[in-house]
Amino acid sequence: MIRRESILGKLGGMHWFLLLTIVAIAVFGTAVLFSSASSAHDMQTGMAVLDARYAVEHAARFGVMMLVAVTIALAPLRLWAGLAFPAYFVGVAMLFGVEFAGVVVNGAERWLQLGPVQLQPSEFMKLAVPLALARYYHQMFQGQNNARYWVHLPALAIVLIPVALVLRQPDLGTALMIMGTGLAVIFFAGISLRIVAGVLVLVAIAAPLAFYFALHDYQRQRVLTLFNPEADLLGAGYQLNQAQIAVGSGGLAGKGFMEGAQKELDYIPEQHTDFIFTIIAEEFGFAGSVAVLIAWGVALYQGMTIASKSGSAFGGLAAAGFVSTLALYVFINIGMVIGLLPVVGIPLPLISYGGTVMLTVMVGFGLLMSVHLNRDNNIALRGII
Amino acid sequence: MSRDWKNRSSFLSRRNIFLGGGAVAWGALTVKLAELQLFRSEEFETKATENRIRLDPAPPHRGTVYDRAGRILAGNKRNFYVTLNPEEISNASLNVADVVKQLSRVLPVSEARQRSILQDAQSQERFLDIMVADDLTWEDFSRINVMAPELGGVTAEVGELRSYPYYAAFYHTVGYVQKANDKDVLRKIEEDLKAIGQTPDTADGQKRARIIRRLYKHPQMRVGKQGVEAFAETALTGEPGKTRVLVNAAGRVIDRLASEDVSGRPGSDIVLTIDAELQNYAIQRFGVEAGSATVIDVKTGEVLVMMSTPAPDPNAFVSGISQTAYTALLEDERNPLYHKAYDGTYPPGSTFKIVVAAAALESGKMSPEDRIHCSGRAWFYNRYYHCWKPEGHGWVNLHTGMQKSCDCYFYAAAQRTGIEKIAEVAKRFGLGHRYDLGLTGGKAGSVPNDAWKRAVMKEKWYDGDTISAGIGQGYVTASPFQLAVMCARIAGGPDTPAPRLVAHGVAVPGSMASDMGEFQPRSLDLVRAGMFAVTSEPGGTAIRYGEVDAEGLLPPPYTNARMSGKSGSAQVRVIAMSERNAKGEAIKNDKLPWRLRDHALFVAYAPADNPRYACAVVVEHGGSGSSVAAPFARDILAATLKADPGARPAFTPKAEVATLPNETEPT
Repeated sequence: MIRRESILGKLGGMHWFLLLTIVAIAVFGTAVLFSSASSAHDMQTGMAVLDARYAVEHAARFGVMMLVAVTIALAPLRLWAGLAFPAYFVGVAMLFGVEFAGVVVNGAERWLQLGPVQLQPSEFMKLAVPLALARYYHQMFQGQNNARYWVHLPALAIVLIPVALVLRQPDLGTALMIMGTGLAVIFFAGISLRIVAGVLVLVAIAAPLAFYFALHDYQRQRVLTLFNPEADLLGAGYQLNQAQIAVGSGGLAGKGFMEGAQKELDYIPEQHTDFIFTIIAEEFGFAGSVAVLIAWGVALYQGMTIASKSGSAFGGLAAAGFVSTLALYVFINIGMVIGLLPVVGIPLPLISYGGTVMLTVMVGFGLLMSVHLNRDNNIALRGII
Repeated sequence: MSRDWKNRSSFLSRRNIFLGGGAVAWGALTVKLAELQLFRSEEFETKATENRIRLDPAPPHRGTVYDRAGRILAGNKRNFYVTLNPEEISNASLNVADVVKQLSRVLPVSEARQRSILQDAQSQERFLDIMVADDLTWEDFSRINVMAPELGGVTAEVGELRSYPYYAAFYHTVGYVQKANDKDVLRKIEEDLKAIGQTPDTADGQKRARIIRRLYKHPQMRVGKQGVEAFAETALTGEPGKTRVLVNAAGRVIDRLASEDVSGRPGSDIVLTIDAELQNYAIQRFGVEAGSATVIDVKTGEVLVMMSTPAPDPNAFVSGISQTAYTALLEDERNPLYHKAYDGTYPPGSTFKIVVAAAALESGKMSPEDRIHCSGRAWFYNRYYHCWKPEGHGWVNLHTGMQKSCDCYFYAAAQRTGIEKIAEVAKRFGLGHRYDLGLTGGKAGSVPNDAWKRAVMKEKWYDGDTISAGIGQGYVTASPFQLAVMCARIAGGPDTPAPRLVAHGVAVPGSMASDMGEFQPRSLDLVRAGMFAVTSEPGGTAIRYGEVDAEGLLPPPYTNARMSGKSGSAQVRVIAMSERNAKGEAIKNDKLPWRLRDHALFVAYAPADNPRYACAVVVEHGGSGSSVAAPFARDILAATLKADPGARPAFTPKAEVATLPNETEPT
């Protein structure tokens, strides 16, 4: 049964708490970006220097994306379910396109030039894969067949094909994220825990092997640097060392808004993008860092609640998949910045400067809210669309 | 169906597992954050500060080198110089090549210098200043100052530049300074770390090494390369001042912070025993001749003159001498780069007869009355040894043998005395070992005997070698400085003090000179009488040059003083029998090309009756010692007696800093 509601009604039924959490995080992110380009006491003049360039762009982007998210939320969930498979196939096609006609940026072929627009298909897949998986499982559950092991094989294929293509770009970070999200959805879909345990054991065995044989030198170096950042302070360990210095020197309460010193002197590369958390840590200290963790924790918890309240498998699994993606983003980014995980190029959603992540995340939030609005509906799905 | 999918997938328990996993992950993040921000926050705060704060050293004021009267031999003059900064230039949207071209239109910047500036701009860190031109005139400096606002990244500064007011006269002894090369910097780091007992691989050691490297990259910083400047480098340099600066990740200075010890400690001043006016006189007296002059105060051992000529102008080296100029100096056959007085070793020739005579008398093997007949040549062992006078001197004894410098007498004396005694006495007269004076270099010469020959030439001593040694040829060599010491000792006797060059400012380890020891007074008196005869009794080889106060103008006790001396000619080539003509004469010096002529030597002291000053003069390829070197020695001793520098103790510097005036200072 599908209940049609009016737009206004839908607006009224929005998950306001989630919305507020998102807005709070984004506003905080704007403030941090403002601080990243400004300074309370400029070194040369001693006066405050205010530069809102990143902040303004970020806020504007967020505003637009918020509208996009709300629009997605207001659309019926059936629409997104219908788009799941086509989107997936288009995405895979684009990945193949990148293979053969990709634009090289920063040493990796990741972009596809379509007229005036540059698209990053790998990023798109972060949404398309969990959606396709959710759709696939929904149809499987509909059919009343008992989910046995073989049900998960095509799911695995759905995950592994784009992962393989992204790996070839090469983009280890995104590939791992897609795999992580995909495997999370498969996990939520009910794959036998014995298999999960078996896979974990295999990973534990394969990881060191992969480390020595499959990783490139620079990737290996990043892992080694984790354990001994002092070993190459000017080279591989530099960024991590500087990041830890910034984080650690924040202390309990931080140095105060805009007072962070490391950023001014250009000590941390990528400070307004991947390493933005160092500014939070330095300026707001342990208190501020934990507050950010709590804020994200709350958002993720709400997401999982939406997933468990969803009336359809598609909604629940898509929601859970998106929550996993978000969790991975936050955990990997903060973990990398504080030296718990090796350095990979994963930004902090809603806080790091950059449009790609914000788009992905806001679309995801839009889907989450759509799932919430449609929680009482069950959808019948057939075929591809 | 709506609840069904969750049961089919056991979604709820999966959700809980996920949330549990999330809590663990979040917990791990929190724990790590706590570790960094709560437990180790002080450590990181310190690292953050260290990251950003650097100690920038400023070149300290270099100590001045004075002569005994307080005249400046090596000083610091005000230096107007211009630097450019590549990072600032690119910030102003210009490029280094254009700026250099612009500057070279207004300032004297050679092509080679322009190329090296461009090279430095590429190869070293961009925030480092590069020297464009220094030692500018006030006019050029003012011009740049006016243009500076239009020229991005160019700074006109005032600093100090090392200056040598006496130009070539002190090139060898005082030396010169130049920009440090990599080897110099490494050496400095080693010395510094050793002094504080650190090793280069500790964090502290690395920090100090960085500071030193940074100091020597400063455009003004120089290091002593030769002479006193090099020997006393540590004393002269002092301690650099250290300014604390705030730097960004690229090393660029953002701000200067409050620092203690900004000016550091200036280097110590050094006073030499040399008299600059006399040294100047000596180098000018030599004119176009090449050679050296050394004057020692017999009563105090102080070195008053130590000059080598020809010599380049050390001022040319301070800012960097061009490759072509340096190559020309290297290839000059008159060896301007060589310290002839201290590093040159020559066969002493007939001046060695002083030693042989003293040895013969002291050993009792010759008595003053013993006579030898000189026929122009003498047969020893298996060959003839020739006297410089082919006709021979007739009968000679010790006195006349010295007076006329008869080779045959000394062949006999040497043979009878034996090389071991001669070598022993030579050492007691100060030959055969190096002297530590406070400058770089210094040769030991050689006082040969059987043991020496076996060690060095892997052969045993032949009796014929003794014969050659008797007239100061063969294996005997000495530096002009050592000859001056020898002369001072014969003049002053066993109480003659060891020679000193540095009066104040740096410790010079002891000379390790062999003690003169006791001689029978008669031996020394007889040798001195012989030397007096050389210059003052008819028949003496330097009879024309005995008077150092011909007009009696000097005050007592120098009125009408005479000098005693001994001439010598050192062969630079072996005279083959085939060269000698029927009379046994060799080719005369003036018929030979310059570089094959004998060196002319003369050692002397004055006044003869109460010796005060001793000198040794070597004129390279001068030919005859008595006609070429003796007049120089006489004039130099005359000037010395007139100035009488030994009468006043060496100057003691006051605490104030001495600066030399520029040539065109505005009033």
